[in-house]
Amino acid sequence: MKILMNLAYHLRTCCFPLALLCAALWGTCSPASPEIPGAAQSQPIALVGGTIHPVSDSPIEGGTLLFAEGVIQAVGGDVDLPADTQRIDVSGLHVYPSLIDAMTDLGLVEINAVRSTRDQRETGAINPNVKAQVAFNPDSELIPVARSNGILLALSAPSGSLLAGQSALMRLDGWTWEDMTQKAPVAMHVHWPRMTPLSAWWSSSSEEKPQEKYDQALEQLRETLRDARAYQRSKKVVQENGDQIPYDARWEAMLPLLRGELPWIVHADQREQIQSAVAFAAKEEIRIMLYGGYDAADCADLLKRHEVPVIVGGVHRLPARRHSPYDEPFTLPERLRQADVQFCIASGGRWSSSMVRNLPYHAGTAVAYGLPRQEALRSITLYPARILGVEDRVGSLEVGKDATLIVTTGNPLETPSLVTMAFIQGRQVELDDRHKRLNRKYSEKVRRFQKTDSE
Amino acid sequence: MLSRIRAVRFRNSEFRENKVGPMRNILCVTLIMMSMVTWRVHAETNPSTQPVQGLRENTPRVFALVGGKIVDRPGHVWNDATLVIRDGLVEAVGENIQAPPEATVYDITGKTVYPGLIDAYAEAAPPSDGVATALREQGAPYWNSLIIPQYSVAQYYRPSASQDEKLRSQGIVARLVAPGSGILRGTSALVSTGAASSERAILNPDVFLHGELTAPRRGRRQYPNSPMGAVALVRQAFYDAQWYEQTWQAYDNDSRLPLPERNDALQALQSLRGEATPLVLSASNELQFLRADRFAREFGLPLILVGSGHEYRRLDAIAGTQRHVIVPLDFPQAPNVGTPEAAANVTLERLMHWDLAPENPKKLVEAGVSIAFTSYGLKSPGDFLQKIREAVQRGLDKDAALRALTETPAEMAGVSRRLGSLAPGKLASFLVTDGGLFEKETKVLETWVQGERYLHNRTPEADISGAWKWNFTVGAPEPASLKIDIRGSAPDLKGELQFAEKKLPLTKLRLDGLRIAGMFRGELLKKPGVARFTAVIEQAEESTLTLNGSGEWGDGTTFRFTATQEGQTDEAASEEEAEEKEDEAKLEDRAASFAVNYPLGAYGREAPPERSALVAFEHATVWALDGTGKYEDATVLVRDGKIVAVGKDVQIPDGATVIDANGKHITPGIIDCHSHIATDGGVNESGQAITAEVRIGDFIDCNDIHIYRQLAGGVTSSNILHGSANPIGGQNQVIKMRWGSLSEEMKFGKAPAGIKFALGENVKQSNWGDNFTSRYPQSRMGVEQIIDDAFHAAADYRKRWDEWETRHEGLPPRRDLELDALVEILKGERLIHCHSYRQDEILALLRTLESHDVRIATLQHILEGYKVAEVLAQHGAMGSAFSDWWAYKFEVYDAIPYNGALMYRSGVVVSFNSDDAELARRLNLEAAKAVKYGNVPEVEALKFVTLNPAKQLRIDEHVGSLEPGKDADLVVWSGHPLSTASRCEQTWIDGRKYFDVAQSKQAEAKAREMHRTLVQKILDLEVPMQESPAEEEEDPMRLWPRVDVYCAFSQAGQP
Repeated sequence: MKILMNLAYHLRTCCFPLALLCAALWGTCSPASPEIPGAAQSQPIALVGGTIHPVSDSPIEGGTLLFAEGVIQAVGGDVDLPADTQRIDVSGLHVYPSLIDAMTDLGLVEINAVRSTRDQRETGAINPNVKAQVAFNPDSELIPVARSNGILLALSAPSGSLLAGQSALMRLDGWTWEDMTQKAPVAMHVHWPRMTPLSAWWSSSSEEKPQEKYDQALEQLRETLRDARAYQRSKKVVQENGDQIPYDARWEAMLPLLRGELPWIVHADQREQIQSAVAFAAKEEIRIMLYGGYDAADCADLLKRHEVPVIVGGVHRLPARRHSPYDEPFTLPERLRQADVQFCIASGGRWSSSMVRNLPYHAGTAVAYGLPRQEALRSITLYPARILGVEDRVGSLEVGKDATLIVTTGNPLETPSLVTMAFIQGRQVELDDRHKRLNRKYSEKVRRFQKTDSE
Repeated sequence: MLSRIRAVRFRNSEFRENKVGPMRNILCVTLIMMSMVTWRVHAETNPSTQPVQGLRENTPRVFALVGGKIVDRPGHVWNDATLVIRDGLVEAVGENIQAPPEATVYDITGKTVYPGLIDAYAEAAPPSDGVATALREQGAPYWNSLIIPQYSVAQYYRPSASQDEKLRSQGIVARLVAPGSGILRGTSALVSTGAASSERAILNPDVFLHGELTAPRRGRRQYPNSPMGAVALVRQAFYDAQWYEQTWQAYDNDSRLPLPERNDALQALQSLRGEATPLVLSASNELQFLRADRFAREFGLPLILVGSGHEYRRLDAIAGTQRHVIVPLDFPQAPNVGTPEAAANVTLERLMHWDLAPENPKKLVEAGVSIAFTSYGLKSPGDFLQKIREAVQRGLDKDAALRALTETPAEMAGVSRRLGSLAPGKLASFLVTDGGLFEKETKVLETWVQGERYLHNRTPEADISGAWKWNFTVGAPEPASLKIDIRGSAPDLKGELQFAEKKLPLTKLRLDGLRIAGMFRGELLKKPGVARFTAVIEQAEESTLTLNGSGEWGDGTTFRFTATQEGQTDEAASEEEAEEKEDEAKLEDRAASFAVNYPLGAYGREAPPERSALVAFEHATVWALDGTGKYEDATVLVRDGKIVAVGKDVQIPDGATVIDANGKHITPGIIDCHSHIATDGGVNESGQAITAEVRIGDFIDCNDIHIYRQLAGGVTSSNILHGSANPIGGQNQVIKMRWGSLSEEMKFGKAPAGIKFALGENVKQSNWGDNFTSRYPQSRMGVEQIIDDAFHAAADYRKRWDEWETRHEGLPPRRDLELDALVEILKGERLIHCHSYRQDEILALLRTLESHDVRIATLQHILEGYKVAEVLAQHGAMGSAFSDWWAYKFEVYDAIPYNGALMYRSGVVVSFNSDDAELARRLNLEAAKAVKYGNVPEVEALKFVTLNPAKQLRIDEHVGSLEPGKDADLVVWSGHPLSTASRCEQTWIDGRKYFDVAQSKQAEAKAREMHRTLVQKILDLEVPMQESPAEEEEDPMRLWPRVDVYCAFSQAGQP
């Protein structure tokens, strides 16, 4: 550990003058976070003595969790450990699966205000072919900050005006984006057109002809599917004749969607949008999920009938309408649960990804407003894993799943709880970050001044 | 000096009766007496400088309207009366008056005459490019082109024949035409609707000075670009006018003094003030109304308001201003509630407004407000009467309505000698109707403007309704004799042929003088095609008419017929008509379904929460944040809104309202040290780098729903700050979240004054887009310099005033509101709250302030405060930070969540703020982050959002902790206040419970029920709905930013 820290220190000192230069020449250099990716698990590890929260099942006090070669081997009160097992005493601590943020632009945006550090949005409305993972910056300073609070997996998604591109579920530790990709693609993202215009200070009083714009956008989506299907048919026919058709990147990217292998994540909050998206998808035979979902509880029957899960786009939101109950966004997860709609909670990405670390507090607020605590925990672990199609590997502490987990001082939904250890596929990852580094540096300054004062 | 400039402005002194001096009065009376003499001798009908073209026209202009009802003034009717008009003026009115023998007599039996109506406000077309350029660039204009009081509509007015015709059709004989662009816009003219040329149209120039306390919505470059900037500008202009007068007086007395500047705008303002010309301010909502009143009181100005139709929302306060109000009639169309989804998007406030707005005139009148009406805002002035009738249907007293259309506007405009009623000597401007003016069916038949008669609805020359016997004489069908039935009157005639139980509609019935034409289908009469006919109407015997006509069958053969009127048809109207009538009755009978609440809409209160004399909260965990910090199973005792005791052994007196808070936690109310809610002034005035003259306090929005939402998160006080666009921004306003009260009542009266400063990327325009590279400063070097420079300027200014106060020599110094605010800082009377991020700029600011012997109150954001924490401590600066925001722009890349703890450990008073309407709802959880990041003890962490912000705002003597003597501002939490699982259950301010979780649920249920009721009402009445399901904002004040667009969001000002 000490060596790592020293290395981190050296890296920082090397980078520091560079960072100053960056102020002027941001585009030509990108700072690297000095945290070194964890090494592959070399021996079985057992976390013993703590409270294990499998999330899929009830907690085990004084339990043991054993994992080897990155995979959980045993979870329970009484576990036989292989001879070469490294025992880590976690008495008084808690073991949880990794928290999963089901919607971020982590790795794609470093500093929102600095254009050269934004890679989350491609030009044009129809970009089914762009893929988040290939622009994911493994050295983003935002990644270790999110990791420090127990988020080891995050969906990194492109944004756009209509068909934004493909998202990827990323492990938040590694050397390259290839190392870090848990699953790609996860989904194709569609920002569903709004039927009612926003009337706000940044738009000129009210948009003209909202209905017309909406119709046009919808027609554009229909056309996209029509064209993609035409490509699919032509390709099949031509291939049967032993030939190839000219390559079209966009329609090529749509093929998995047409085959039902890839879902759309539809970004929609309003009732009208949700109804329209679900009906559209049913007709076009596309599997969809919702992101945002402010009004989703009002469309519960529709969502259940079509088995559309909802990624709640942040609990910490303002009520959508002046007359909405003040706690409407806070009660949304509980209302979805009561309506038996499949859901999970994401941090919402309102401040780009610098706020991913606050994901557990969204779930915490949902608890204050009715969601049972266990469900809240699942809504940021097991449920996002299920919705994003990675339940077989992550989301809970069960034998056979990845050892992607955290050790904490308490319930992660409560603010003061700290993450003391983290493992991704059995690799112990560093929990240092830019903030802790700066804290150390300036704690020293404070200490020196206090010393001078007291002398 | 006065006379020099007065010569520039011609005035019609005779009309300005309430403002003329005694000398002029005598002159007027003499003139009138002389003209009265001349009337009788020879009628000079056209006193004009215009040379006569062609032959002289000397048609006698003496008329008598005889035999009708004459309402000569509101509330007074002559029956069977006569009105005599001579040369455009009323000569006599009343009963028992003989028409002069030379008069042309009109029989008005069955008709009613009313005094001509006055449209009290219209906006002139904007000045042409040439005039606008001249106002901006020629002569000696004010430095800011939105201050153009010298602009006079009278000088550019041109009547429009078509517009005047529409107005006359509504009985309008005169209207006030006001300038419509700018902030101080210039003067209006009262114009006649019956003149072909402008020299005849202007009845009275320069009636009022007009303006509006808001800025046009335009880019970031120009000053002012926010409502609060607009107010600051107007305020400065009025001070400048005072100074202008003084400085010229001084110069006139001593020509050795430097020659003062000449300024057309200030000159005009000074003249208008000298004549006590009323100021008319347009107010797009009820809050703007109250602001305008406050502004006028500041300068002791006579004020008239152009209202918005929202006045009913704060009726008592509005009536309390005792201002005349010009009331609009553009009642809202029903919002689109055609689908459940569309209805869900319509706010309760909007639904209530639709329901209540037509009762606004009634409520104003009943509250004792003197009102006039304007057609401004209507799609067409042709809807004027219809809307007034709607207001009458909804309860407005008819006499009051007539008064608002005649007497009141005439008085307001100072022309009641000429208009407003019918009396000898007044203008012969009136209207003639076929019934009561406010009855739905009544038609305005004619409008007379200054003796000119304009006909609108000519009475049909024949009344052909009734039953007729119709005989074909040539080309007869089978049968040759039938009945016809004609209903209605021209131009809406309906007819039917009847024979042998069969009915055949007559279509395209058209009465043209004494000719009637129409069509019917021939089939039932065994004739092919469609038959057409025309007949001439003739008088057979007394009151019986005959038709003699001919026509053509579909096959080209012709027919002839005669018809004789046989009497009236059965009055049994068709079922359809009956239904229509019923629907109309439903519409007319409807009254607003719900009483006004405060503010209007969801969560609005009917009355302020009560204050019990004694309240005791017992068995709670009390986070008093006093010397002890926290008490278990303790009591908080509140008397008359103040805390009197806190602790475990508090005796609860008899008669106290006891609240069992067993298992609950009680903390002081949360104080947000950095917020931009509850203001509709635009948050930023970004038109200049220094805007110390701008005041958030001018624009507290007591209707902002965020106030309620934050009460529900335990917030009791909030520091509403100007944004971060400028190194020296505007003045802040600390408020208490007294939901339901008025803006002024929300102000935290004992909070000292403050001001916003800002440093770094926002003020050097780094993220404003590529076009903003020239305003000073563009670097942190420049930021330091401009602030230093401002303080030097303030010191010089202060010195100049001090010299003047002692010696009174030279030209008087000009009062500069911007420098006034800075001098207050120098005197220690105004607290600085400075937006700051990087350690270099923080240090530079503190050193600059120290060099001027100023100490800062708080550094806001202060995200690199941890790097220079000891400097803050030494200076005495306090830090109000975000707990954990970072990386949204380059200057916050080194922001860390340990910042608060590091500053705290260095001895800095630290608070965590929201700067965000959503985050402010859970500041208690932000405090918890001080525990997480840096291990701050819980009690100290909670102070980050209570006692510490109170200290930072210098209000800790009153709020921030639960100690005897402090205000009873407190929160009851369901559990530990730093736990995510806890929620706010009650929020108390001044010993009143402003939020209660159970009451809140009831309010939501009630709001749902009201929403449902009003949606059903719209659907049930089948009134036309707006086409778009979108929420269209009719109040432009709603569209100003409610966040610091330069701070919260970084991408070109958009989220």
